[in-house]
Amino acid sequence: MPGELLSDRADRIAYAFVDNGKAYSTVVGLFAEGKLVPLEGPYEPLPEDYIVGIVAEVKFSGYSVDMNTAYSAFLSSREIRERYSMGDAIFAKVSMVDEVRSVEVNDAKKLPEGRLVKVSSVKIPRIIGKKNSMVDTIKSATGCDIFAGRNGYVWIAGKGNANLAEQAVRMIEVQAHTTGLTDRVAAFLKSESGKQQ
Amino acid sequence: MDELRPVKIVARVLNDADGSAYIEWGKNKILAGVYGPSECVPRHEQSLYRAVVRCRYNMAPFSGMEEHGRSGPSRRSKELSKVIKESFENVIISENFPKTQIEIFVEVLQSDGGTRCAAVTAAAVALADAGIPMKDMISAVAVCKIDGKMAVDPGKEEDNFGESDMPIAFSPRTGELLLYQMDGLLTRDELAEGLKLARDASEKIRKLQVDAIKKVYEEPKEERFLIVK
Amino acid sequence: MESINEVKRDSLLALLSAGKRADGRGMHDYRKITLQPGVTQNAEGSAIATIGKSQVMAGIKFDIAKPFPDRPTEGVLSTSADLLPLASHLFETGPPGDESIELARVVDRGIRSANIIDLNSFFIEAEKVLALYIDIYVLDHDGNLIDASSLASMAALLSCRMPKIEEGKIIRGEYAGKLPIKEKVVTCTFGKLGERIFLDPALDEEKGMDCRLTFATTSQHICAGQKGGWGAFSEKDLLHLADISMEKGAELRALLPG
Repeated sequence: MPGELLSDRADRIAYAFVDNGKAYSTVVGLFAEGKLVPLEGPYEPLPEDYIVGIVAEVKFSGYSVDMNTAYSAFLSSREIRERYSMGDAIFAKVSMVDEVRSVEVNDAKKLPEGRLVKVSSVKIPRIIGKKNSMVDTIKSATGCDIFAGRNGYVWIAGKGNANLAEQAVRMIEVQAHTTGLTDRVAAFLKSESGKQQ
Repeated sequence: MDELRPVKIVARVLNDADGSAYIEWGKNKILAGVYGPSECVPRHEQSLYRAVVRCRYNMAPFSGMEEHGRSGPSRRSKELSKVIKESFENVIISENFPKTQIEIFVEVLQSDGGTRCAAVTAAAVALADAGIPMKDMISAVAVCKIDGKMAVDPGKEEDNFGESDMPIAFSPRTGELLLYQMDGLLTRDELAEGLKLARDASEKIRKLQVDAIKKVYEEPKEERFLIVK
Repeated sequence: MESINEVKRDSLLALLSAGKRADGRGMHDYRKITLQPGVTQNAEGSAIATIGKSQVMAGIKFDIAKPFPDRPTEGVLSTSADLLPLASHLFETGPPGDESIELARVVDRGIRSANIIDLNSFFIEAEKVLALYIDIYVLDHDGNLIDASSLASMAALLSCRMPKIEEGKIIRGEYAGKLPIKEKVVTCTFGKLGERIFLDPALDEEKGMDCRLTFATTSQHICAGQKGGWGAFSEKDLLHLADISMEKGAELRALLPG
């Protein structure tokens, strides 16, 4: 809980602050083995993060990208070969975050026709799974292509059962902190794909 | 004298808001919603060093027992909006999010005395629900003097006829007072007694806030509903 | 990011052309609806209605007012709507905008045309009548606020108590029976994109659609209609939707209390 004591020493822990030689949590999260993992919170971009973005504005030298953060994200035209239009979905890498939190992305590729599902960014690792295991399970069960951005935007493309894929993603988002989730998701996908043909 | 009215808190009751909470405190029914951090508009109000915290306390036209309320914020609403905002500015770690805004909205659906304490308590839960980093989760409670005795949590009747009213919000971690208002006549001893009563009561409130947040994860739901009955 | 509307329109069109909706619903299906009547006690009537993830509260208060000069024995009915900033990242604080005014007026029109409240029974004495205020409080926006607001308002009216009046004044906290309501009015709102028409548009659908049409119905009549948005409906569309509104209206009325 915010304000809860984590350690009697002035340890430097992510998502915690130090006061009077002790460390306290700033968020609602799970604390284990010296690491605090928030259960909710805004996305804070880091270089090397792969994100899903929507082109929001075509500018003179590049594109303004909607990444679900409060800060602007920019993709320079020099970084890419293709031309994009407003509304295109892209998968890109965060290349730089400056002191005022403006973000630059590069290494972009346009994503095929599909739909956007917005989830809380802290749940993305669970949606991806260890070595992509979770996202692969959903892909094979629904026949969709799935791109999960570290920023909380998940793009579901392809001709498969997008509705089912979206339901599975939302299910993981809500139950991300529980155990046995992988099995439950697999079971859900199995029973639903039988019905929704 | 040290008894609180029945309090019930539920977190995460709205779907669009980044964080939300609903509180029933005695006969008060209050909903809090939080958005942010998001782009600060208007641009000229943004700060390069921190997030701008905004708060709007508002009472529904059907919230009071008396007449239908007029639209638009009253002077009281504006004062409460400011006072509540200032308590949260203290604990929200706004330096983490320069150039953004964090908005806190509190809507009183039914009022019965002590709405500002219930509002602060619910807003704190809504902020935690949104994952906004804070140094503490604030809880608030009011104390009053009735018939010469200090008592905790006055209802509307006691509010109107009591000899003093003192709403207070605490940061449980440090014990500091983040919201403090007082009217009426008190001796120094009565003041000290009132502060102690408030502090003890706020611990009970804090427990309810923590329980409300834990429940979100113990009983995960995909669609969120505000259930009033 | 309102410029994203174009994108929404294209992807929505693609889905609809295949006869599908994003959440798998049929073209004439409502999302899950819940009703909670009588949720607060200070208001004479109240209710919360949810359709999918949209949540709307309606509260009813009575006051003594002066009647309109041209209708001196009639009570006053006034409906207003508040799109609360906490309901959506799209809503801002400030005085009621066009959207909230239209919402209030559409809900009001159905109730007024169907004459379900006997306003003449609100006469107290010369220059004094009862005024009934319906306040629509939108708490959570995920599309189709019109139907959610109508359901909340109707449920609030159906569970509304009459205030006790003594010597031309309202005695707060005391009541004289229930507000008599002659009929139940509900609305059905449809979205249109291209040639496809769908009932109960969710927010994502609202962002991409061309226009909408709402019909308010009682068990016997259509009592109000409103088209919104820049697109157009054909006569055939209108009659078809009127039929569906009567059919779906009956289903909605069955959900209301009383």
